[in-house]
Amino acid sequence: MVFAVFALFPVVITDPTTTSIAFFALVFMVAAASWNIFSGYTGYLALGHAVFFGSGGYALALLTSHLHVSGGWPAFALLPLCGLVGALISIPVGLIALRTRRHTFVVVTIAIFFIFQLAAFNLGFTGGTSGLFLPLPPFSAANFNQPFYYVAFIILLVTLLVSWLVRRSRFGLQLLAIRDDEDRALGLGVKTRRLKLSAFMISAFFVAMIGGLYFDFVGQVFPNTAFDPLFDLSIALMAFFGGMGTLIGPVFGALVLESLQQYLTLSFSSNGTYLIAYGVLFLLVILIMPQGVVPGVRDLLRRRRPAAGGGTLAETDQPLAGAAGATR
Amino acid sequence: MSNLIEVSGIVKAYGGIKALNGCELEVREGQINGLIGPNGSGKTTLFNVITGYEKVQQGAVTFKGQDITNSTPDHVFGLGIGRTFQLSRMFPRLTVLENMLVATQREEGWLRGVSRLAGSHSERSRALELLDFVGITRLAYEPAGNLSYGQRKLLELASLLVADPDILLLDEPAGGVNPTLINHLADRIRDLNADGKTILVVEHNMEFVMGICSRITVLAQGTTLMAGSPTEVRSSPAVLEAYLGADEEEAALDAALREELEEAARSTTSSVSVTSEPGDRAPAAGGAATEEVLLTLSGVCAGYGGADILKQVTLDVPLGGITCVVGPNGAGKSTVMKTISGLLRPREGEIRFRGELVSGLTPKQVLAKGIAQIPQAHSLFGDMTVLENVEMGAFTVTDRAVVRKRLAEVQELYPIVRDRAHDKAGSLSGGQQRLVEFARCLMLDPDLIMLDEPSMGLDPQTRTMVFDMVAQMNRQGRTILLVEQNARAGLKLSSHGVVLENGQVRLTGSGHDVLTHPEIGALYLGGAVEAAGV
Amino acid sequence: MTGTAFIEAVVDGILTGGVYALMAAGLTLIFGVMDIINIAQGIMVVLGAYLSFELSVHAGIGLLPGLLITVPAMFCLGVAIEFLFMRRLRDQDRTQMSILVTYAVAIVIEGILTAIYGVNYQQLSASYVNSSVHMLGFYLPDIYLIGFGMAVALLVGLYSLLYRTKFGRAVRASLQNRTAADLIGIDVNRVRTISVGIGVAVTAVGGMVFGATNAFNPNTGYDLISRLLAIVILGGMGSIAGAMGAAVFILVINDIVAVWWSPTWAPIVYFVALVIVLSVRPQGLFGRAAVRAQ
Repeated sequence: MVFAVFALFPVVITDPTTTSIAFFALVFMVAAASWNIFSGYTGYLALGHAVFFGSGGYALALLTSHLHVSGGWPAFALLPLCGLVGALISIPVGLIALRTRRHTFVVVTIAIFFIFQLAAFNLGFTGGTSGLFLPLPPFSAANFNQPFYYVAFIILLVTLLVSWLVRRSRFGLQLLAIRDDEDRALGLGVKTRRLKLSAFMISAFFVAMIGGLYFDFVGQVFPNTAFDPLFDLSIALMAFFGGMGTLIGPVFGALVLESLQQYLTLSFSSNGTYLIAYGVLFLLVILIMPQGVVPGVRDLLRRRRPAAGGGTLAETDQPLAGAAGATR
Repeated sequence: MSNLIEVSGIVKAYGGIKALNGCELEVREGQINGLIGPNGSGKTTLFNVITGYEKVQQGAVTFKGQDITNSTPDHVFGLGIGRTFQLSRMFPRLTVLENMLVATQREEGWLRGVSRLAGSHSERSRALELLDFVGITRLAYEPAGNLSYGQRKLLELASLLVADPDILLLDEPAGGVNPTLINHLADRIRDLNADGKTILVVEHNMEFVMGICSRITVLAQGTTLMAGSPTEVRSSPAVLEAYLGADEEEAALDAALREELEEAARSTTSSVSVTSEPGDRAPAAGGAATEEVLLTLSGVCAGYGGADILKQVTLDVPLGGITCVVGPNGAGKSTVMKTISGLLRPREGEIRFRGELVSGLTPKQVLAKGIAQIPQAHSLFGDMTVLENVEMGAFTVTDRAVVRKRLAEVQELYPIVRDRAHDKAGSLSGGQQRLVEFARCLMLDPDLIMLDEPSMGLDPQTRTMVFDMVAQMNRQGRTILLVEQNARAGLKLSSHGVVLENGQVRLTGSGHDVLTHPEIGALYLGGAVEAAGV
Repeated sequence: MTGTAFIEAVVDGILTGGVYALMAAGLTLIFGVMDIINIAQGIMVVLGAYLSFELSVHAGIGLLPGLLITVPAMFCLGVAIEFLFMRRLRDQDRTQMSILVTYAVAIVIEGILTAIYGVNYQQLSASYVNSSVHMLGFYLPDIYLIGFGMAVALLVGLYSLLYRTKFGRAVRASLQNRTAADLIGIDVNRVRTISVGIGVAVTAVGGMVFGATNAFNPNTGYDLISRLLAIVILGGMGSIAGAMGAAVFILVINDIVAVWWSPTWAPIVYFVALVIVLSVRPQGLFGRAAVRAQ
């Protein structure tokens, strides 16, 4: 059902303003979902994923210009390569950052992020402050958004599929175990370092890929937009809003928050309004549903219908006491 | 008989303190091996060393003849050594079944293990089988965080078994677990042993250890005291001394005590009362019954995160005396104090001080009533000077004249407060810190002082001095409630004794009577209390 | 690079470092008593600058007298945020959650500032902002000296508050050993609220000086918080003395690199330094390995 709505959305609603909002929402849904593969599952709050988002954009700009690839579908074909660039960059970044834990890790990711931002401003091949241009796709103005929308949608499906596979595998289970108690996981034979780095790379891959697509759509990549601290935070807030560590939560959070942001930015000339609404909404969620919306609503439903879903612990605890204490 | 694990000459120091000092251990293959020793003797540290959680400066650990010194936990687990933790650790936000599937399978390539779907049929059914083995199948789909303390222990054990380790290192499997579950656990451990698993268990519950182990190693102060069969260990005077505390200076007194002990064993008119039912008020000994009571706990239940540590504790603290609470580790001694001082809110029951209800008050309000607590070691503010620390004791007193007057009194009593006034409290020795803690506490002029293990980590001489100071505070008219691991020294000092076991009061009486009661040794070193019932 | 230029860079670094030290001291104080990283500290500095701006442009109150209003205002903001959000965070994941919560607070403040002032750059002005004194062969702007003087005065004040008053003792006690603090009758919750208030209040002064020496807009908060975090982490979380040392260290390096190589590469150098330091010593340059008594 949801799939059909998303698949048919640009066919039914062709208004370019709306479809571009939908495209942006999809971009952030992918970003939040892939951020979640690392941060949501392992509990390591990475606030530097803009590094990969921006790198994806720069990678596509550089690839298209050096390989003389034209815009549109040929450029889209290079997107997996952008993802690969992101994954490669994530290796040294991860090796350094993952030596630390908790808040030190957060600060190290922020610091690495600023190193990339400053480097983009100052290095020659990034075009400095003026940035780089991407080739214009040969799409007609009326249908310009549709191809981007569908490519983003496909990337989202792939990201979700990978996220689901990770969640279902022992790999994912071990990531969640790291989130809950890393030292204990180590004692159960979990190769925590390798796992964290692998998740970090997968996460970087998809963020870089969608970054390439995003900047292809925008047409230009600057240091300011490529390495934007608000991006780092936004995807974290979106994932948290929907429910960190759940499959659908981050996607839901991104859909709500990014659509809201785009809508408010368009409706009000000032950027202030969306920031306020964004922040307030997030703070409300933290106060009311500290787990995020998706798990929060799930809990609410479970509480309302205790008979469904296997019952609560209070019910199952009693028979257990009899089973465990058979000697009683 | 071959040894599965051999540990030799391990030295592990934190700063200047040696947690392990030349410790030796042999774990016999196919047996249930026990590892015991008083608090702070280095048992858990040794576990951490074997399983790669801590690196050592000296010594060697071998497993099946292979050197595994200073390895990493994941590597050690891969070799076939599984361990549990003292405060059982699992993954609270995963379901019980998911917890079971985390462990990496042995002899399975890393990538294969990782890429495999966690829910393959064979694995799931194996996990469920093991859950069934420990008896928590019904909870398979609950988040592990919802489990009770005992259930967590069972889950932790089961989650190791998934990888089919050769040896299980169990750190206090029976700690904080109710007696029924303890029996259940003991049965499971025997089953596992019968299946060919070697087991090494650290445990304070002596009954448990003596019951299941065929060979026991005793640690004391980081070195190996002895190793032998349960009978040998139980009958060793050195082991009893390590547990009950001994000081050579008072060897003569000990001899007298032993005589009394024997006499008490013959006597049928012991004034010590033994309670076995929770909530029962243990009648006070003989003539003491008419004594005025300063503080009463009635039916107090309290604990952390749902699990009750105290189960219906009922006890009196008589006015003007020293009441000493003793009991094995994990019996709930410190929890009694925290509950009284307001750090922990009792779930049930009430606490009255001079007849006034004090349960449910904040620490500040409790303090205002005249109850002060000195917590277990290191409660000074290390970066502040001695004088500042002592002055902090009068934090709630606003009258400066009173503060000055008390400070003068305290300095009179404890010259160190004057002599080292401007030294950082952290630079003092352990014994000196204790004195400053006493001084800080006296700044409030409390009626009841609660001391949590004042002798912990002190050498015998300093310990004697600290106990003298406790007696002195008492002579000045303050009622003392003392928690002490060193049961002999504590009880000798006290007018009243209370033995706590497993969150329940087991014995009460005068300090002397409790000390000479024939069951006290049994309580510490295992043995049937019930059999000796009154 | 001449000797004079080098000395000038060092002096500049020390002077600006003093102001950063003040702002970072607030951040580290909040972490010390609450285990909370206040990401909003950066935007609060900007907010402080805007408050000073508002008072001087619209109410005609000078920058220095204006502090009498802005400091208490920022104190109240800190207390409100502590009361509304920080104390609600559960112990589990507390530090990480606090990063998200205070980041959200920062976004709200940024949004309000953007809505009111837009994204154009402002700078505070006063007679002493543009004048300077001549010494050792180079010019020192007065405002640098004033800012440094105030920062030192306030750090001394903060130090005295922490080390010479009863309240300060309560703060240090709660910071070192919560249980023991509880047991001697300190109301740890109240101490925490007030500490957060103080930690935020210093941003009013920091904001005034920062606003007078730099052009700012609502986006400036990100740059500021990244520097402050670098300082606080480098100095060892929770250590005020460490934050002061690290602030001067980073700013001096920044200024030396700026003179000797290029101003644009200067921040990279210290971020790289930060990353290197943290991967070797996760507890920071001056921090001790975290052993927190419970």
